[in-house]
Amino acid sequence: GLAILRTNLKWPNLIFTLFHFETLTFFVLCLSLPENGQQMKAVVQWFMRVSELPVNKLKLLGREPHPQEIFYYECRNCDNEVNVESILRPVKVKHLDSNDPFPDSSDKDTLYVKLSWDSKVFGVVNSTVMESPAEGPSRRVLPTPDHAIMQKASLGEVGCSSVGTPANVEAESLHSATKLSASKCLSAKRRNATARTPGVRKRLELSSECSHKDFKMQPLCRTREQQGFLYISNTKNHHFLTVSLLFLQISPGTPKTPRHATPSIPIRSLQTQQPANILEEARARLHVSSVPESLPCREQEFQDIYSFVESKIIDNTGGCMYISGVPGTGKTATVHEVIRCLQHAADMDEIPSFHFIEINGMKMTDPHQAYVQILQKLTGQKATPDHAAVLLEKRFSNLAPRKETIVMLVDELDLLWTRKQNVMYNLFDWPTRRHARLVVLTIANTMDLPERIMINRVASRLGLTRMSFQPYSFKQLQEIIMSRLNKLKAFEEDALQLVSRKVAALSGDARRCLDICRRATEICEHSAADPSSTGLVGMSHVMEALNEMFSSAYITAIRCASTQEQLFLRAAIAEFRRLGLEEATFQQVFVQHQALCRIEGLRPIGVSEGLAVCQRLGACRLLLLEPSHLGVLQHIRLNVSQDDIFYALKAD
Amino acid sequence: MSKRKARDAHLPIGECITQVQQILRERFCERLLPDRPEGVEAQYKHLLELLRRTAIHGESNSVLIVGPRGAGKTMLLQCVLRDLQKEEKVQKNLLQVHLSGLLQTDDRTALKEITRQLHLENVVGDKVFGSFAENLAFLLEALKKGNRSSSCPVLFVLDEFDLFAHHKNQTLLYNLFDVSQSAQAPIAVVGVTCRLDVLELLEKRVKSRFSHRQIHLLSSLNFTQYLERVWTQLSLPDSFPDKKFAQEWNAGVKTLCEDKSVEEVLQRHFNSSKDFRSLHMLLMLCLSRVSVAKPTIKPADLLEASRMCFADATANMLHGLSILELCLVIAIKHLNDVYEGEPFNLQMVHNEFKKFLHRKSNSMYNFEQPVVMKAFEHLQQLELIRPVDGSSAKVQREYQLMRLTLDHSQIMDALQKYPQCPTDVKQWAMSAFG
Repeated sequence: GLAILRTNLKWPNLIFTLFHFETLTFFVLCLSLPENGQQMKAVVQWFMRVSELPVNKLKLLGREPHPQEIFYYECRNCDNEVNVESILRPVKVKHLDSNDPFPDSSDKDTLYVKLSWDSKVFGVVNSTVMESPAEGPSRRVLPTPDHAIMQKASLGEVGCSSVGTPANVEAESLHSATKLSASKCLSAKRRNATARTPGVRKRLELSSECSHKDFKMQPLCRTREQQGFLYISNTKNHHFLTVSLLFLQISPGTPKTPRHATPSIPIRSLQTQQPANILEEARARLHVSSVPESLPCREQEFQDIYSFVESKIIDNTGGCMYISGVPGTGKTATVHEVIRCLQHAADMDEIPSFHFIEINGMKMTDPHQAYVQILQKLTGQKATPDHAAVLLEKRFSNLAPRKETIVMLVDELDLLWTRKQNVMYNLFDWPTRRHARLVVLTIANTMDLPERIMINRVASRLGLTRMSFQPYSFKQLQEIIMSRLNKLKAFEEDALQLVSRKVAALSGDARRCLDICRRATEICEHSAADPSSTGLVGMSHVMEALNEMFSSAYITAIRCASTQEQLFLRAAIAEFRRLGLEEATFQQVFVQHQALCRIEGLRPIGVSEGLAVCQRLGACRLLLLEPSHLGVLQHIRLNVSQDDIFYALKAD
Repeated sequence: MSKRKARDAHLPIGECITQVQQILRERFCERLLPDRPEGVEAQYKHLLELLRRTAIHGESNSVLIVGPRGAGKTMLLQCVLRDLQKEEKVQKNLLQVHLSGLLQTDDRTALKEITRQLHLENVVGDKVFGSFAENLAFLLEALKKGNRSSSCPVLFVLDEFDLFAHHKNQTLLYNLFDVSQSAQAPIAVVGVTCRLDVLELLEKRVKSRFSHRQIHLLSSLNFTQYLERVWTQLSLPDSFPDKKFAQEWNAGVKTLCEDKSVEEVLQRHFNSSKDFRSLHMLLMLCLSRVSVAKPTIKPADLLEASRMCFADATANMLHGLSILELCLVIAIKHLNDVYEGEPFNLQMVHNEFKKFLHRKSNSMYNFEQPVVMKAFEHLQQLELIRPVDGSSAKVQREYQLMRLTLDHSQIMDALQKYPQCPTDVKQWAMSAFG
């Protein structure tokens, strides 16, 4: 891309500054106002070079493009405000009528504009647009991503700037200009074989009253690939200069991959509301995400993991530990708690410092991505999975003693399974290396995972340090809720007991328990208008929440089904009984259905209507169906027990 | 030209009809959301409260909306979102990401779509940069950096939620639910599905992270409410420009709904299915018969529309068969009767047909084997018969086993309506023995 430059600046003084801009070095003329010293922005108009147009669009031109031809870029989504610091050099741009021939000029610093380009088609440029800066395209201050990124990058690297005298700069630039013009040609050729431009020297003449000799040419800029000049035109008014600038940047038409994109979610515009009453406060504390001050009921497990990791850190050795337990039993939370405490101890200088990293098998797309993530978390490097594996291998087998122990948490270990099991093998092999100083804590759901899926050499390296988290008992669940509520009186005692007993009987999943309590507070809030309510979450509320979450909807669904759908279910059962099987074809059930229709005094339905009824039942999975293209031949099975259907249909 | 003149002469009524068509069509095509969702007030309140808490308090939540097709799940969600957006506190505080299991068929495309809709920084224009793994890491990093009090809440709507459960490892669902249960950027995950057994599809870790909130949309509406709904759906609003016409129209609709035959037809539809989408289809067919010459909906229109709705396409296809093909179908029917639905092949059918010809050779011409085979193949192309699964292609075509995909009642119905069907053939079809 090529941005050009139109601006009227107050111009009392000039300072030359050398800037490093990303990897490119620019000599840039910095126009600053000594009075206030603020940064200046120039409003620019973008132009496209021939080589920047998509090759397949060039044929739209209908003629050979002139080497010095550029195109007025009419894309609205690019930023037309640039830092004056990024200015390169001046060029002269002439507007030609679309029918005029290109002048036969050897001046390579003159560029010609005939047409505009809006990223799809060419258009005609009005000569007035070219000549009056004030009537240029409306200013838009919306930054394009690439520009924002470049600015960000520049912020980090602007550090080494030096100020030289104008004369020095001039001399150096002139010298470099000659040296670099050849390489410039080469690189331009390399970049685009179709490029017919021998160089990138462009010039824009903005004001028609500026005559060529008024310009004081100042070779200014040098980069590895680019060079340029800044043109200063001295108009009649000595305090106002029309500055013509050339600005080379990433082409606005073909954005590059944003390499420095920062992952972030926008900031909210309004403040979050704080909990206003006891129930809201309780709800906030009961949310699974809220981090409790301490983890009750896992003291023993906490102690075991803590001493294991601590001993490894103190002894400067490595080791593996396997932690299993059904979901929602606090495995990951306990490990995090351990790490928090160890980190605290390390900060207090009680134990040597260590480095903690965490990966999760579910949070990667492929087991081999584990290497990439480990490497990135250890060193910040990015690499392909294979390369990362090699680098990690080197790192851990390095004989030189490391200064810090690495504690690595591998969550959802079973997802790292591959056919050759090399990811798991490496994870468990690294800690055994002499100077690796790596502690690996692995977490998975099943107790017998090592026996079930690991081949011997992997299971052997994992070792026998295992721990299993039992599902919470009802007492523990109750304690967890109590500790979270922290003396906040929002629940009746009985209600809490009911929830914890119910959950303990079903799964012992603490998440479930908290979610039910949270739902109960909502129900309580809704029924607050009821005069008998005490404002506390009572048995009735908890019962309702439990019903909502645990009762199956099948029975309600059958009750709410249409008459024909209910009849069809009955027909299916009747046919199953007749056949003595749990499966029948639609055709067989349909015969029963028609008979039932007659018994019920309804008009028998047609086959296509019957199929539609059957499909509807299949869509909500009351029935299990074969693919529908089989028509009347498809087999039907029930997805609910026959008793449930009878119960549901009898009730009304 | 004359038609145009006639229209001009009745300009006011023509204008009215156009207006009526426009208003009602918008309703029936479900383009317009109702002011308040009917019959699901409790569910509406639950969902509204839930999403409002996400937007205002930054509380992460997950919920599933479950209900049969056409029950108004999407309508409910859209109504809630529309009403939420009206609230000033919510307006700029909620980012929305809409995904559909039918469009985002794997996690790769789903992640790209999420990134695109959130306008994260690795998006340029409409393109998302980076590989699948990078996209996932980027999105998770973005969500992880956020926190409850400062990040903008994000609402994820997963349409056809059950299809997401079939993605490899359920990575997307695990991560969304995991974020909703940890102290990261606040998100609300709303799944929409028609499968009642959707929770059984979730892997145990994913299931544990889901909050188990389900909003069921199961309509327990009775026929009186259904009739009322028909009435409200057809009547014009008070804001209709021509008051007189609106009054007449509404009176017409009222008499229509009170008509006995209409009630019977609607009862039949109600018995078949309670969902409003099929009702809208029926009413749309009625509406399309309204014109300037006939500016009301007559009971006959509804009967006709209902007949079209219930028409059996496969049986209709039989009317287009040749006599020979029809004879083959009848022969197959007899074979099915004799062998109790066992599969048959061309030879068997041809033999059966020949037996019939021997008995009644006067009316029918004896066809050559290749001609019969051609007819048989035509039946197969129409999918009136289909090869038995697993019968290999190696078997000669005459001996390939087939099954009939028609019900006998369909054959008999079609025969009654078949134009100029020879009496012999009819009798043969009706006789109990081939």
